[in-house]
Amino acid sequence: MKSLQRFWHRNSPQLFLGELLEKRWMEPIIPFTLTIAVFLAFALTIPRYTSLGNLQQLMFNFAEQGMVAIAMAFSVLSGGIDLSVGSVFAMSNFLALYFYLILGLPLPVMIVAVLAFGALMGAVNGGMIAYGKTRPFLTTLVVLIIVRAAYNKVTAAFTDELASINSESPVWDFMGGGTILGVPTNMAVLIVVAVATHFFLTRARPGVHIMAVGSSRKAARHAGVNVKWALFSAYVISGALSALAGIFYAARQNSSGTDTGVGWEINALAAVVLGGISLAGGRGTIARAMMGAAIIFMLISGMVQTGISGNFTTATIGIVLLIAVGFNVKWVKNKGKVLQKVYVVPSWVDFEPPPSIARDSGTVFAENDRLRDAEPIALNQIEGPEDIILDRDDHLYTVNRNGSIIRFRAPDYTVREEFARIGGRPLGLAFDRDQNLLVCIAGMGVYGVKPDRTVFKVTDRTNRTRTRLKDDSRLYLADDLDVAPDGKIYFSEATTRYELTDWALDGFEGRGNGRLICHDPATGTTRTILKNLTFPNGVCIAHDGKSVLWASTWLCRVYRYWIATEKAGTCELLIDNLPGYCDNINRSSDGNYWLAFVGLRSPVYDLAMANPGFRIRMVKQIPPDEWLCPGINYGCVIKFDDKGNVLESLWDPGGTSHPTITSVREHKGYLYIGGLENNRIGRIRLPNADPGWEAHKSYWGAA
Amino acid sequence: MSKASRLKKQLWWGVAASIAALTAIAATPSKAAEAREELRQQFDKALKGKTVAWAPVWLGVLESEWTRVMKAHFDDYGMKFEVRDANFKSDVQLQAVSSLINEHPDVLVVQNPNVTLLAKELKRAMEAGIYVVQVNMASNTLTDAYVGVDARDMGRRLAKNMIADCGGGKGSGEISILEGEATAAYSLDMKNGAMEVFKADPSIKIVSSQPTSWDANKAGEITSTVLQQHPNLCGILSVWGPQAAGAVQAIKAAGKTGTAKIYVASDGQPADCDLLEQGGFYRNLSYRADTQGEAIVNAVIGLLQSGDKPGAKRTAYYTTPAWVNSKDDRMYCFTVPKDAK
Repeated sequence: MKSLQRFWHRNSPQLFLGELLEKRWMEPIIPFTLTIAVFLAFALTIPRYTSLGNLQQLMFNFAEQGMVAIAMAFSVLSGGIDLSVGSVFAMSNFLALYFYLILGLPLPVMIVAVLAFGALMGAVNGGMIAYGKTRPFLTTLVVLIIVRAAYNKVTAAFTDELASINSESPVWDFMGGGTILGVPTNMAVLIVVAVATHFFLTRARPGVHIMAVGSSRKAARHAGVNVKWALFSAYVISGALSALAGIFYAARQNSSGTDTGVGWEINALAAVVLGGISLAGGRGTIARAMMGAAIIFMLISGMVQTGISGNFTTATIGIVLLIAVGFNVKWVKNKGKVLQKVYVVPSWVDFEPPPSIARDSGTVFAENDRLRDAEPIALNQIEGPEDIILDRDDHLYTVNRNGSIIRFRAPDYTVREEFARIGGRPLGLAFDRDQNLLVCIAGMGVYGVKPDRTVFKVTDRTNRTRTRLKDDSRLYLADDLDVAPDGKIYFSEATTRYELTDWALDGFEGRGNGRLICHDPATGTTRTILKNLTFPNGVCIAHDGKSVLWASTWLCRVYRYWIATEKAGTCELLIDNLPGYCDNINRSSDGNYWLAFVGLRSPVYDLAMANPGFRIRMVKQIPPDEWLCPGINYGCVIKFDDKGNVLESLWDPGGTSHPTITSVREHKGYLYIGGLENNRIGRIRLPNADPGWEAHKSYWGAA
Repeated sequence: MSKASRLKKQLWWGVAASIAALTAIAATPSKAAEAREELRQQFDKALKGKTVAWAPVWLGVLESEWTRVMKAHFDDYGMKFEVRDANFKSDVQLQAVSSLINEHPDVLVVQNPNVTLLAKELKRAMEAGIYVVQVNMASNTLTDAYVGVDARDMGRRLAKNMIADCGGGKGSGEISILEGEATAAYSLDMKNGAMEVFKADPSIKIVSSQPTSWDANKAGEITSTVLQQHPNLCGILSVWGPQAAGAVQAIKAAGKTGTAKIYVASDGQPADCDLLEQGGFYRNLSYRADTQGEAIVNAVIGLLQSGDKPGAKRTAYYTTPAWVNSKDDRMYCFTVPKDAK
């Protein structure tokens, strides 16, 4: 039973769900599903619904509504609304008939004139909204009323002419009733318009500006966008698109009734909202507007086709829209919360009681005061020195929280200088043979700084796991690295599921979310070599250069991965059941290795790790500051040898000056200590250490 | 004699007797009865299982009455009857008619919202081999049958009646026309018929002629405005009853009851007769939707039995209207049977 539970928690389907929800294409999932569902429902209930003839008919009737929905989408994406689309559409419908069939103007002239009319109405809207700073809702409502009144006047004035409309033009009939490869002309135009506007809004500068203004007018202005022009252009495009719809509608129906375009602005608005485009602007796509429009259109036409009474149809559509829009709004708003609730999926980890750390226990881990009197370096001049390293000129390098590499100059380390600014959150450091300083950067990948301070990218992606929904080709949280004698860079990615700020959540999961990756500078390739590792960390090439040592933080273990000899490619456990959570591993002068404990285990936390249900409840039900956390207010480093024997431990009891130690480096008889959250670097003299030993020589020789 | 042979003998006798009886029946008066039966069989053969599709502008009182009468008859004849309610949306109605044509019923019955909207589709329907019957509101495309009023003639009759009351010095001669949907045949033709007559009389002045989109509120607004500009308005010609109800209210509000009279072309719905009896309407030129419904049925079954190809002939079934002047003329309004809904 227990093993079954273990299996369940280690392979929970919730993982899949969480990563599914994280996908960007999940945002329009509701309108997308609804579109398919509505289509299928009618396909099953209405005979011959999917016949070519009926599909063509549906497309004929849909195209103009689709265009008006795109027109509305433009105004909504710009952060406003265009209520005049319906009446501009109706007026354009009339003008097209009037210019072409009553006045007899040539077709291209008519099209240009009508589009110009639409653009002009858009310019009136946009001009007032963008330059006159009027409210979009009222402005376009006024334009709606004026254009509608004018429309009623002109259609009444030309009643007899409109009643005797008869077109003999084959081009006109082709626009209204022709097909291109089976697709109705107006539908083909809609497809072209939809694709073009999509690219316009996502790829072209003026379109992106409209989106930017929609998301945040202030930010757009600060970014140098001409806000007024962007707004103005959005309404002009909206007007022109409505006019385009009017032309095709005229060609198809040859009629201009008082109800033409009445309520179309409502349908278009409903389509836009149903598609999940935010009324606040800036969020949404043309594709979503199309989906929304398709749902409404199919519902209306389908219900009419099933012969349901008109009033009932209207009411049903109202209710469906209300539910769908309500659900959609909730979904868009709460998707993040749902994701948060299901994303953390704790695994089952069994721990044995660790060796005692009590001062009088006599074990190698027994608490002592050896780090208590560490001499502070760079006190309050540094924020979060997760890793530290010294070069052959004894200069001290460390990482800073703000994304830069800081150098303190030898010999007294009082002169602080920004060695390089890269960005992200720099973590592990290593020098390669050419004295390039390589650094793992959370959120970015692996970068390097040449001795002349130029920054270069080493790698920011590896091969993707094909079986996984989440795209893990990008490096999320590159953590620590080291360089093998052949120049290959081995680095760990602590987790592919969380950002650095949420490292504690990865701890709660205790799952193998991380990996060990190798980058070969000779070929420029990056390959994942070990997967599903539980917070791999502390990558260090062994003294003989034949294996990589790495530590699993949450499992409190040290592993050895062979890169040479006949065991190359295999991984073995070196040390198990350590009393602390392991961080960086580095070479020591006596041929052994230093290991930093970022925190210490406690019986309560160990127990919690074997109880995933408890941790789920904890994460879901209580605020983060009350969560049970790994004990990180300790300072401890240990030394171990190549066989995995722990040799000694150095303590700062209570972590008064060195809590959460993440890195230890030995250099010329001193031990340097860095911590993820600390405001200093510590240094103690190692009495028995070789005062001439330095890591660079150990790796690359005297040179 | 064995049992089996006795049975055989009896069977022979039976067969012989039956033959004798049958010849006797055939010889006597039965020839005419057989012909009548054949007629019914022929009728059933022409109609049974046939599909009639019906696309009205919406299902208002008038259209519901037509629908009720059609359904009763078609059900009785064993025909299929499908209704598509566009609920006053012309684009939806076009969709409905388009998809109906693809479904290929035997007869398509339509009420055109205006003269152009369905013109192409009706042609396409007949080309596809569907009989097309148009009801009351015709299209620019003529089809196999038209059932309904002669709107132009009704316009003329209303106008003549109004001139008798308002023209020649009897009234101010100021007349307002409430159109329906301007490009609907019913409204367009009736207005043109009336104008033809009004224009011939110099004492008549048309002060307003505006479309209401069949909407009582709009008719009310128009009438209020007209009454403000022309306080001496003598008559209002409304092409339809329900919209004129709005004008009744406007007249009442303006205190012109009795001086501004309403003349209505009515489809005979009960409310129109009520309004006349209450004094809101002055004259109704009324026809009855229920009998019109029967005329539609007749047109449909006539076409199905004709053997003509769809689109071959143009036939018309004009409805005869009658004046409703008082309570006594109630029979020109129909009543909806209680169990109809």
